[in-house]
Amino acid sequence: MVEELTLAQKQQLNRRRWIIGAIVLFMAALILQFGLGSGGSKSTFVLSSQRTGVNIPAPDLVLPTDVTLYSMAALVGLAGVWQTLRGFKRDTVVILVSVSVLTAAFLVWATEDKSLNLTGMLVSSVVRATPIAMAALAGIYSERSGVVNIGIEGMMTMGAFMAVVFASITGNLWVGVIAGVLAGMVMGWLHGVLSIKYKVNQIVSGTGIIILALGITSYLQRAVLNLNPELNQPGPVISAVAIPGVWRIPVLGPVLFNQSPLIYLMIVLLVVTHVLLYYTRWGLRVRSVGEHPKAADTLGINVFRLRYISVLLSGAIAGLGGAYMSIGAAGRFNEGMVAGKGFLGLAAMIFGNWNPGGAFFGSLIFGFFDSWQEKISILQVGIPVDLLGMAPYIATMIVLAGFIGRARMPAADGTPYEKE
Amino acid sequence: MSKKLYTLVALFVVAAFVLASCAPAPTPAPVETEAPPPPEVTEAPATEAPATKAPATEAPTEAPKFRVGFVTDTGGIDDKSFNTTQWNGVLRAVDELGVEAQFIQSDEATQYEPNLTEFASQGYDLVIASGFFLGGDLAKVAAQYPDIKFTIVDYSYPDPFGVPEGVVGNKECIPNVQGQVFKTDQAAFLAGYLAAGMTKTGKLGYFGGAKIPTVTIFGVGFQHGMEYYNEVHGTQVTLIGWDNKTGEGLFTGDFMDLTKGKESTESLFDEGADIFMGVGGLIGSPGFDVARERGGYGVWVDVDGYNMLPEARDVLLTSVMKNMDNSVFDVIKATMDGTFQGCDVYIGGLENAGVGLAPYHDVESAVPAELKAEVEDLQAKIVSGEITDTGCISYPDWCPPGLYE
Repeated sequence: MVEELTLAQKQQLNRRRWIIGAIVLFMAALILQFGLGSGGSKSTFVLSSQRTGVNIPAPDLVLPTDVTLYSMAALVGLAGVWQTLRGFKRDTVVILVSVSVLTAAFLVWATEDKSLNLTGMLVSSVVRATPIAMAALAGIYSERSGVVNIGIEGMMTMGAFMAVVFASITGNLWVGVIAGVLAGMVMGWLHGVLSIKYKVNQIVSGTGIIILALGITSYLQRAVLNLNPELNQPGPVISAVAIPGVWRIPVLGPVLFNQSPLIYLMIVLLVVTHVLLYYTRWGLRVRSVGEHPKAADTLGINVFRLRYISVLLSGAIAGLGGAYMSIGAAGRFNEGMVAGKGFLGLAAMIFGNWNPGGAFFGSLIFGFFDSWQEKISILQVGIPVDLLGMAPYIATMIVLAGFIGRARMPAADGTPYEKE
Repeated sequence: MSKKLYTLVALFVVAAFVLASCAPAPTPAPVETEAPPPPEVTEAPATEAPATKAPATEAPTEAPKFRVGFVTDTGGIDDKSFNTTQWNGVLRAVDELGVEAQFIQSDEATQYEPNLTEFASQGYDLVIASGFFLGGDLAKVAAQYPDIKFTIVDYSYPDPFGVPEGVVGNKECIPNVQGQVFKTDQAAFLAGYLAAGMTKTGKLGYFGGAKIPTVTIFGVGFQHGMEYYNEVHGTQVTLIGWDNKTGEGLFTGDFMDLTKGKESTESLFDEGADIFMGVGGLIGSPGFDVARERGGYGVWVDVDGYNMLPEARDVLLTSVMKNMDNSVFDVIKATMDGTFQGCDVYIGGLENAGVGLAPYHDVESAVPAELKAEVEDLQAKIVSGEITDTGCISYPDWCPPGLYE
């Protein structure tokens, strides 16, 4: 009986090995296909950056298209053969590496006899990932304490709106940021009152927050901003701050050290959240409230208070994300400008298994493929633009599903706590 | 406790929905509108007898003044762009022709049909529909009110995609509707020529909100004008983000996400462009910050960006304008004169000031005098017919149909 079971298991394992091997080999064949017929041409990757108006020079990376693609194909092919015959221990990593190589190979192929600014693409990835990562962080605070927060999109919209209005009135962008954060907190407080105090279904309350925020901002834009355009003119956006000493490093400098201060703030928040959640008593309490509020309550933890604080923090970070989008990037407010970033953040949070690091990784992948598809559009390789637009969504799903595996939400997430 | 809860929830829900759907009070327009549809709308043939009898009885017979009704799209009357421009044309008609005018704002797409019906059932002399999004609904309403004259801006029939099958307008034109379309490529051609003369890097950039003809036509003219400059001057200026030959280019995928518009502009500048044109609502607006940082220019579209984007004036090269105020005015005037041409389209071009290139405003001194003269000369040649192909004759696939026939 036992032997039969192991045999069945073995067969299953073998099948998995072969399937993954076949997938990897297929990718190798694809890369090889790109390489065929590209003899003699070169792919030029520009590494210097002129973003924010400062020139950070770096030599161009010029690759012989065919040789590069053949070596990539060989690399993935070898991995595929090894996987089929012997099998790697961590086969998801093999898939991930192969997908990454395939992505790079696609770029090399698309850049055949053309040039592409690689550094610009990477900077853009971080910039695009930022509002999503902020939304994901907002989600983590709330949901780790057991309150589903589907209203992040609405909180961001309010944040974006208030940030623009207050920045325009006072002429100070940082006042705008604070206003955005406060606006997010007000929406968070509303969500808290409804879902914690009055135990309204958290999904319903969150949806209400979205509709309310979209309604208020749309109304105020038409009734106030359009008639008083000076309220929608915060001036130049928050300018980038170069970190002394490191910002001139080629590639790395523009990507990491010459960005908007709100992007630095987002990274600091990521680290702080990680430390708070996993290395402090407060974080342990928040997590326990999200997992088993009754047990936490018996130990003398004030469940309601912790949840309120978490939801307020969630709203604050969402508001910050909105402020980043309006006065940190776009320089004005426009109806619907958050355009689903709140939901993307929630998806990143789930794929990232409710961990700050995982969520950030998910946001980065989305940001990367978003700017990747844009570069492919510019290079014009004959793929319909609507199809390309789907790339970041599909890529994020595939990579995260393969990498993170099954996500597990906090056990008490979504359940209002009833004190007996 | 629970009573308090219900009150709170009820208030919250009501507030949410009221705010989500409600529009601001109309601006100090000549006449107030926004009244809820009167009860007789339900009795009007709108629902019961499609395409049969006209509600002639409801039309006031002794209207002393020519009455014009204007239905906005969801952008609202104060959008400072599409709707506002058209309404300005109506206001000019109020001033100069003495017509009487009202508008209704549509807050959702579902309101287009009732709003159009509202004016039609009151027997307005001309009902103006603001744009493409009202096309399908206008076809239905126009069929129910064959005696009412309608006009629709930036759109024309037949439209096999926007109009349901079986409704007049799907395969044929509508006898009581005049469309208004624009040879936008003519103005974009001038902008492309100008930009090609202004670029220092030899590269121009284009991106759009979605790959639809009313967006891509800007790219078609822009590229054609640039190529014409290359021909005349023997230069090698290229365009990034759009190609007439392949019909491929850079599109953000929506008209709302301003941050995407900004990143698209960054991307174009990364690849060496120093003058960009972003087509689609406000998504082009953040790009002017990028142009300023990197020492380039931007080209605005639809209306003169000088009024709309005061913060971008220093880097606003020019604007490719669709003068919908002129087209609306012209159609009102023609209708008053009795020369309303149902089933026909008003075609706005450089020759009738339906499209145009905006003044240089603040960058006046930066544009070389000889380049200005060349652009003016070019405009004269297009108006006189010496230059006929400004892009859409060679590449009709990326332009709205019916412009050059």
